Amino acid sequence: MELQLGLALPPPPLIPIETFDLNSYGNYETREALGTNALSWPLLKLGPADNDINNIHHHNSSSSSSSSGGGAGCKKRSFDEAPFFDEKRNVPKTLHLLLWTNQPNDEDDDPSNVLHENSSSAIFKNDGEGLVGWPPVKTWRKKVHHQIPNGGAENNCLPAVENGIGGRASKSTYVKVKMEGVPIARKIDLSVHHSFEGLTNTLMRMFGISDGNRKSFKLTYQDREGDWLLAEDVPWRTFIRSLKCLKLIRSRG
Amino acid sequence: MQKEMAYSFPDEVLKHVFSFIQSDKDRNAVSLVCKSWYEIERWCRRKVFIGNCYAVSPRMVIRRFPEVRSIELKGKPHFADFNLVPDGWGGYVLQWIAEMAGAYPWLGEIRLKRMVVTDESLELIAKSFKNFKVLVLFSCEGFSTDGLAAIAASCKNLRELDLRESEVDDLSGHWLAQFPETCTSLVSLNISCLGSDEVSFSALERLVDRCPNLRSLQLNRAVTLDKIANILRRAPQLVDFGTGNYAAELQPDVFSNLAGAFSSCKELKSLSGFWDVVPAYLPALYSICPRLTSLNLSYATIQSPDLIKLVSHCPRLQRLLFLIQVLDYVEDSGLEELASSCKDLQELRVFPSDPFGVEPNVSLTEQGLVAVSLGCPKLQSVLYFCRRMSNAALVTIAQNCPNLTRFRLCIIEPKTPDYLTLDPLDAGFGAIVEHCKDLRRLSLSGLLTDHVFEYIGTYGKKLEMLSVAFAGDSDLGLHHVLSGCESLRKLEIRDCPFGDKALLANAAKLETMRSLWMSSCAVSFGACKLLGQKMPKLNVEVIDETEPPDSRPESYPVDKLYIYKSVAGPRFDMPPFVWSMDEAVKILH
Repeated sequence: MELQLGLALPPPPLIPIETFDLNSYGNYETREALGTNALSWPLLKLGPADNDINNIHHHNSSSSSSSSGGGAGCKKRSFDEAPFFDEKRNVPKTLHLLLWTNQPNDEDDDPSNVLHENSSSAIFKNDGEGLVGWPPVKTWRKKVHHQIPNGGAENNCLPAVENGIGGRASKSTYVKVKMEGVPIARKIDLSVHHSFEGLTNTLMRMFGISDGNRKSFKLTYQDREGDWLLAEDVPWRTFIRSLKCLKLIRSRG
Repeated sequence: MQKEMAYSFPDEVLKHVFSFIQSDKDRNAVSLVCKSWYEIERWCRRKVFIGNCYAVSPRMVIRRFPEVRSIELKGKPHFADFNLVPDGWGGYVLQWIAEMAGAYPWLGEIRLKRMVVTDESLELIAKSFKNFKVLVLFSCEGFSTDGLAAIAASCKNLRELDLRESEVDDLSGHWLAQFPETCTSLVSLNISCLGSDEVSFSALERLVDRCPNLRSLQLNRAVTLDKIANILRRAPQLVDFGTGNYAAELQPDVFSNLAGAFSSCKELKSLSGFWDVVPAYLPALYSICPRLTSLNLSYATIQSPDLIKLVSHCPRLQRLLFLIQVLDYVEDSGLEELASSCKDLQELRVFPSDPFGVEPNVSLTEQGLVAVSLGCPKLQSVLYFCRRMSNAALVTIAQNCPNLTRFRLCIIEPKTPDYLTLDPLDAGFGAIVEHCKDLRRLSLSGLLTDHVFEYIGTYGKKLEMLSVAFAGDSDLGLHHVLSGCESLRKLEIRDCPFGDKALLANAAKLETMRSLWMSSCAVSFGACKLLGQKMPKLNVEVIDETEPPDSRPESYPVDKLYIYKSVAGPRFDMPPFVWSMDEAVKILH
């Protein structure tokens, strides 16, 4: 690695590269230990065979080396064969699924190119209102801050948030969505939607409603006055500005 | 000869010896010594901590540890705190409760963090565990006051009910009245997260009255200042108290009543709450300030001059105080005062009062933190939000505080460079990891290149948790971290140009960690599939709320990726927007 560093650092530790053949999964060599983590890992290894899930899960572990240790594999093992007594247990310290080259990224598949393509959408997800989850302040703290009546908040603060985080004041664009018959409410980010179509699509997906069943649900919302209205009765702009929370109800008839 | 002696200890002796070993790590080491120690240890383990509820199944835990009395579970990834994990992702506790209800009739303590807890789960807890003592729901959601009522009504010996930072559905304030008159066992009650309608004050008063062992009480915002005195007089033995609202029109009799009530609490060491502070009422605290070791004013819009007054009017406050959380209204001047008074300070957290404002609204800069680092040599833990930073300041902080174990710096505008030189902040953070040899947790911000990760990989040998946002240039950055940080357990990354190469080249590293979160990075769907295919000990989950990842080319980056080690296999409760890359699970929903 050719990095010129301002501070005097010891030379970066050489990372020995070994060739790795994806076809012979188990033919890698182990290196010196990654510290004591190898020891703490066995907490999750169980001696006797595990339940069916693990048998399915590890069905192909017979093709890997002995290092797969705790995976129950395809046969039941007695306790004596349990991994912690296997001196030669090889923990895959540096399993490569890719050969690390010191070459700079190829131009063609430079991941940062892909990122740039998406970065504008990633960073400005909220239509310029700010990044999702940034700065990393917990939701309930945001609620608290915008209920502060005095102080420097007046230039940024809109009317105080009510008990949900649906108010625009918090600059968070999430509103609660409930579906009739489902106890747990969900939250949806309104800023990424610009039409009823898009919103409905997302909601259908969120609650696992298939296209066929779509017609049996109606989208309702509660406005700032506390009244429940049918979403499709109002224009999108009115809907967005006045809604407090959403509910999907089953339509009768 | 010696060998034979070792094996001739009766099990009871070993069991007794093991009962002194409390730490999980030590217990795990004990269980590895030999077959019989493994067996003895597993039968006498009483406390289990599961850092990721999907890493293991309830059945597996129960099978190995049949006599558990206390369990702690964590669910959602940390970034869920910042809305990066969509609702419905998972973390449901019900199945755990259901299985434990049958297997652990004597389970007495349940501590949950970032889990979805329904009323049904709470009702099941209430009726299944006769000796239930401790319920901590930290940052949980999904339940209402109905569930709390069930707990209150049924748990005859409840000692601790702590709902901190949880989201509770407000249905009725009368759940508190469900505590039977015979319940006198409460030691700790934290209801600070509840809304206005969720607490019946008279029920609360009666409860406090009949619980002589109550040591820790955190009220919610709805409790007004004038009521504090009533509560405190009923519980002068309190050690830890969270006020509700701390604002009212100044009235002499209310003030003197309050001051008197505080001074009657001779054991009070820790204060929090203080929503809506009226500074005129702060002097009511002066009598207890000398004893305070912990002060949380992070909701209080207390301006710097008022804070300075509070600190300086209590001559002995400086010696005992070691944790303080304040909004950045405290400003550099307040922090400088703090630094000169509170020499024992160990933990400082400064939260932003206006996180979304573009212009700084207060005079809080890197200088405040530098002052504290200079004045408080015992500083171990820092969480600091600010709007500018320099490498020089970070180097100074690093040199002043070599004992730092947690350092979380958030410069509010992403990719902000050193404001003096316009350089990236690589050297500054490099100094932090180099000087603070015991650093366990680090959160980065500002303009950062791959160099900072090289420093972290080289020096961060004890680093267990790293949070990265808007940093780095290429996969080399991620490679440095994964190949260099030997103790790394949790890595969370957002909006960084890290792609497939570093991840695939260090795949085995992931098996030694608890979890990896990457969102808005450049990891391709193909790489995720490969990881899922080749690493059976990992659960590789792709999160995408807009469309299935396989509806796009394999080289297309995934939106969010969560990888964690697990012996339980892929989970069953994935919502439609989470795709498991495990071969055994159908990728198409």
